[in-house]
Amino acid sequence: MALRTILRAPAAVRPLLIQPRALYHSYEHNEPPPYRDAESAILSSALAHVPLHGFTEEALSLGAKEAGYLDISSNLFPKGAFDLVTYHLVTQRLGLKDRIQFHDEKIGVGRKVRSLVLERLRANVDAGVVGRWQEALALMSLGENIPRSLKELSGLSDEIWFLAGDMSVDTSWYTKRATLAGIYAATEIYQTTDQSTEFRDTEQFLDRRLEESRVAGSAVGNTLEWIGFQGGAMVNLMRSKGARI
Amino acid sequence: MASLLPRATKRLRLSPPSGFVCHDCRRAFGSSVCQSQQQQPAPSQHVSQSEKTTHFGFETVAEELKASRVRTVFSSVAANYDTMNDLMSLGIHRLWKDHFVRSLNPGIRPASTASSPQATPGQTILDIAGGTGDIALRLLDHATTINHDPRTNVIISDINPEMLAEGRKRFATSPYYSTSTNRRVSFLEANAEDLSAIVSNSIDLYTVAFGIRNFTHKQVALQEAFRVLKPGGVFACLEFTPRLSNPLMNGIYKRWSFGAIPLIGQVVAADRESYQYLVESIERFPSQSEFAGMIEEAGFMVPGGERGVEGELESGWEDLSLGIAAIHKGVKPVSR
Repeated sequence: MALRTILRAPAAVRPLLIQPRALYHSYEHNEPPPYRDAESAILSSALAHVPLHGFTEEALSLGAKEAGYLDISSNLFPKGAFDLVTYHLVTQRLGLKDRIQFHDEKIGVGRKVRSLVLERLRANVDAGVVGRWQEALALMSLGENIPRSLKELSGLSDEIWFLAGDMSVDTSWYTKRATLAGIYAATEIYQTTDQSTEFRDTEQFLDRRLEESRVAGSAVGNTLEWIGFQGGAMVNLMRSKGARI
Repeated sequence: MASLLPRATKRLRLSPPSGFVCHDCRRAFGSSVCQSQQQQPAPSQHVSQSEKTTHFGFETVAEELKASRVRTVFSSVAANYDTMNDLMSLGIHRLWKDHFVRSLNPGIRPASTASSPQATPGQTILDIAGGTGDIALRLLDHATTINHDPRTNVIISDINPEMLAEGRKRFATSPYYSTSTNRRVSFLEANAEDLSAIVSNSIDLYTVAFGIRNFTHKQVALQEAFRVLKPGGVFACLEFTPRLSNPLMNGIYKRWSFGAIPLIGQVVAADRESYQYLVESIERFPSQSEFAGMIEEAGFMVPGGERGVEGELESGWEDLSLGIAAIHKGVKPVSR
């Protein structure tokens, strides 16, 4: 028992490690709702106050009052305003599959990923939080919140690849998710400063990033292939010289 | 070494004389040894088997006696309670209490009063076991200076009149009690398990700092808290934990608490017994996970409470100073 306590991962690291919940998408079992009824009632009405009050304790307590709770009930959220940010992230991630459906089978995975990222960014606009999103990013970058934020980002990246119909079972499973997470984070930051109509600049920014990753990905692939051939050729050369390899 | 402890525990459970267990437990401070004793409280000689018993530190006493014995302890420590707290915790208890109050954020927030500043009544806070008023003073300071809410008031409740007298002394010099027109503090001598003086659904915030450990029936007190709180009201508890999660730090901490604290009590307050009780009662308090479960059982929603694989609560409290103390919260749900 005591040994188990020593070997146990510290509480701060635990969210990064394997969770008891399923890590895969199950078609048979519905995930339990991520928030209790009271929590979603307060948080969803608090989100309505974000455009005016930002991601703050005020928005939370106003939301609590609207949901029939008291000022003090915002204690239900141990991380305060950051819980409001996570609520937005979680609900939008889970809602992504209802926002967009692909009926045309011929669309490539790459194009699907692009539309999914744009749709997710549009959700920020629809929720009216874009003007306040820099506050949310600031909260997410606080040391104590980084593990949770990264987990949510990787969750979103995974969700997008899943919805795009990605079936890869090799190491590219990881590189795809890592690359998309990076691209999404960059595009989201760009979106907060975008002044163009209907966020056209953001769209172009995303296209440039996707193109870059494609070019970089193929460059890396080609280089690896070249190294492989050279290595093989070298081995064969040595063998022809009588080395026992 | 650590893996031997469970075996040692089993051996202890087999041995019939209870006196030996108690002695060993006092000396070893080993957490799992004490745990085994918790499961089977050794009946001491002056309690007959038929009576309902509870623990008073490491002793076992009749339930009716516990309240009066706790009262005696706190009557004797009341006069130098704050000095002793400073010495025992090296002043850290002030940081814990400040953090406790700041995280609660008492007082009506400015954003909620913007529409109708005059009509909004202040909050009613019940500070249980808050005799000397240090939590109450912090609550009022926070509400007044941070949230600019001059209406929030605090009811300080304690079972012990000597502790309440200390509180009156402290508040006599503060602006919250000295003016007779706008008194924001009232004192109530009551047992937390029977708050019949307080109307149901009337309290916004129920705080108990380093008090609930001394209650005879903790679950009854939690249910009483649930009754007096308004729907949406918050139960908040600051309390020591029986053991630290890190076994090495736990060993050091137990050395300090069992070695130094009774000694400080003896030297400064000339009262070793009371402080021996204090550290023993910490040892007997349920662990964070168990206590969070008790809060949930009383009907509260535990903020951030997540269940692990075995169904026990894995989070939902905040550890302070490596887990020497912990903040527990519960929100009374609004029924729809």
